[in-house]
Amino acid sequence: MFVCAAFIGLFSIFSFRLIYLQAIKHDEYAGLAAEKHVYKQIIYAERGMILDANKEVLAHNIPVETVVADATHLNSTEATVDLVSSELRIPSGELAEKLNSGRRYIVIKRDVPAHTATALREKLRAGNLHGIYFEHDATRIYPNGSMLCHVIGFTDFDHHGIQGVEASMDEYLHGQDGYRFIEHNRAGQEIVPYRGQERAPRDGYQIHLTVDLGLQNIVENEIDAAMQQYSPQKATIILMRPQTGEILAMANRPHFDLNLRSEAKPDQMKNRAIIDMMEPGSTFKIVAAASALNERKMRPDSSIFCENGLWKFGGAALHDHRAFGYLTVRDILIKSSNIGAAKLALSVGEQKFYEYIRRFGFGERTGIELPGEINGLIRPPQSWSKISITRIPMGHEIGVTPLQMTVAMATIANGGKLIMPRIVKSVTAADGKTISSLSPMVLRQVISPETAKEIGDALRGVVSDAGTAAAAAVPGFTIAGKTGTAQKVNPRGGYEEGKYVVSFAGYLPAEHPEFVGLVMLDDAHTSKPELNYGGLVAGPIFARLAEKAARYLDLEPHEEIRKAIPVERVEKKLPTERVHKTASAERVALTNASHH
Amino acid sequence: MTAFLALAGLSYVYLTLQLYHLGERKKASENELISLRTQNDLASAQIAALTSRSALQRRLKEGYLKMIPISEANIVRLTIPPRSPDEDTIQPVANPSAAR
Repeated sequence: MFVCAAFIGLFSIFSFRLIYLQAIKHDEYAGLAAEKHVYKQIIYAERGMILDANKEVLAHNIPVETVVADATHLNSTEATVDLVSSELRIPSGELAEKLNSGRRYIVIKRDVPAHTATALREKLRAGNLHGIYFEHDATRIYPNGSMLCHVIGFTDFDHHGIQGVEASMDEYLHGQDGYRFIEHNRAGQEIVPYRGQERAPRDGYQIHLTVDLGLQNIVENEIDAAMQQYSPQKATIILMRPQTGEILAMANRPHFDLNLRSEAKPDQMKNRAIIDMMEPGSTFKIVAAASALNERKMRPDSSIFCENGLWKFGGAALHDHRAFGYLTVRDILIKSSNIGAAKLALSVGEQKFYEYIRRFGFGERTGIELPGEINGLIRPPQSWSKISITRIPMGHEIGVTPLQMTVAMATIANGGKLIMPRIVKSVTAADGKTISSLSPMVLRQVISPETAKEIGDALRGVVSDAGTAAAAAVPGFTIAGKTGTAQKVNPRGGYEEGKYVVSFAGYLPAEHPEFVGLVMLDDAHTSKPELNYGGLVAGPIFARLAEKAARYLDLEPHEEIRKAIPVERVEKKLPTERVHKTASAERVALTNASHH
Repeated sequence: MTAFLALAGLSYVYLTLQLYHLGERKKASENELISLRTQNDLASAQIAALTSRSALQRRLKEGYLKMIPISEANIVRLTIPPRSPDEDTIQPVANPSAAR
C-alpha cells in the first residue's frame, strides 16, 4: 500500500513536471530552443540591371558570397581562424577577435568571389570545422567603366543607390528580399523538413535609359579629345532629342571609373550637367530675342540702333565688339550684339523679360530623373540693379545649369514647347513585362511656333560666315546654334581674370531637328588667349560630334554632299581676319561683365 | 494488434527517414540550382564585359578589329516622310494599310 502510494506520488510529480514543462512553460522553452536552432535566413533579391536605349548592359550583378560565422557553432576556433584568415587573406588577429565575441551573426568578409568561397567551403568540410556559413550575394559591375559614370551612379556595400540613376531609381532597382525560417542540427546543417515560413524574393526591375551608347561613345571620345587639346578645368557635353526630351548622351569631365569608385575624388563624381551653375554668356540672347518677338514688340526684320558699339545706360557703359549701327533682330543674334540684346529686353520690360526667363525653365529644376539637380540662380526684378536689364540678356548676372541651357535650346528647336528632359525610358520586370513607360512631357508652350521658327532662322545665320560660329558648320547639314563666352565667376566675388566658360548650343538638322547639343568647357587653354571663344573652341567640337552623330543616326545629308562622298572630315580653316573678328566679338562682352 | 503497432512504428520510422532523405535531396537540388545560376550569372557578366562598348573600343585600338566608315555613295536610303513632332511614338511602316 505504501509502495503503491509512493509510486502514485512519484508519477504524479513526474506528470505535474511534464505538464509544467510541456504546457505551462511551452512557449518559453520553445522560444529558447528556436533561438538556439532556428533562424531567419534572408534570401536577397537581385538588383535590377540598367540598360541603354538599345538594351546594352550598363550595370549588372556578379555573384559573390558573404562569409559569416555563428560563434556558438564553432567547434575549433583556432583551426577555423587559421584556415579562414589564410583563404580570405584577412589578418588572423582581427578574425580571432571577431569569432571570440560570442555573437551568433558575424560578418567575416563580403564580396568573396564564388571560386574562393567554394574552395573555403571544401576545406572547412574536409577539416570538419563548423560554424562558418556562406550567404549568396551579388556585387555591382559596370562593364563600361567610366563611360556615363555620372548618369549611372553607384551603390553602397548594402546595395542602396547613392548616386545617379542607381539612387534615383533605387526603389525599382532594389527589389524585395525574401526570407525563410530554417532550423539547424548540432553540426550547423539545415534540417530541411523543419523549414518554417518562407517568402520568395522579388528581383529588382530593369531600368532602360534613353541614352544611346553609340552616341554616348561619340560624345565621350570628343570630350576626351577636347580635354587633351584644351585642358579645361571642367567640361560637359549633352545631346538631347528636342521633341521628346530624351537625353541621348551626357558626359562630364573630370570623371571616374565606376568599378574603382573607392579611388574617385569627390570632384570627379559630380554630374556637372545638373549641379554646376554658370553664367551662360551670349547663348542666353535667344531668350531676349524670343521674348521681344513673341510679345510682338519686334519683328525679325525690325531695325534697332546699336549705338555704334558704345552705349551708356544706368551710369555704366555697354560695349559691342564692333561698332554696329542699325541691326535687325536676326542680325543681333547672328552678330551677337550685346547692345541689341539689351534693347530687345528693354522693349518687353523687366517684369515680362523675367517671366520669359522663368517660362524657359531657368531658375527651376528641369525634373530629370537624376538626384542633386539644382535650380540655378535667377533673381526677381525687385533685386535687379539699374543695369541688370542690359546685362542679363547677354547671359550675365544669372546662373544656369548646362542642362537648363540645353532644354532652352530644345524649346527653340521643337517649336516653342518646354519639354521635360528624361533619362529613364522605361521600367521592365525580369521577364520583359513593362512596369512603367515614360512618355514625353510638355510642360508649357513658352513661345509660339512662329516665334520659334523666326529664332531658329536667325540661329542658322550664326553658323555661317557672317556669324560667330562658322567653325560649327557640318558638311551636308544645316545647323542652328548660338555661341557663348562668359568670364568665370570668382567664388570670392567678381570675375576671374583670363578665365572663361565657353559654350556652343545648337541643333541639327535645322529644318527638322533630330538632336540638340551643348558643348561647354570651363577654363579652356588655347594656344593664344584671343582664341578662347565659344565659336572657336566649343563650336568645332560640336561640329565634329554632330557630324558623327548624324552619321550614326543615319540622317540624310544634302544631295550635293551625298554626291561628294566624304569619308574623312576636312577641318575648315578660318581666315585670319575672321578669327580675329570672332575673337573680339565676345571679348567685349566679357570686359563688360568684369565691370559690374 | 502487436503486429499492427510494430508495422505502424516501422512505417513511421521509414517515412521519417524518407522525409529526411527527401529533404537532403531537395537541399542538394537547391544548391545545384544556385550553383548553375551562379555560373550563368558569371557567364553573363563575362559576356557583358567582353561585348561592352569600352571593351570593343579597346580591341579596336589594339588592332583586333577593323572598322571602315561606309561612304555616302554606298548607302541606299528609303524615302520615308519626315516625322512631325506630334507623332514621335508612331513609326512609319512600308505598307500604309498595315498601319490601320
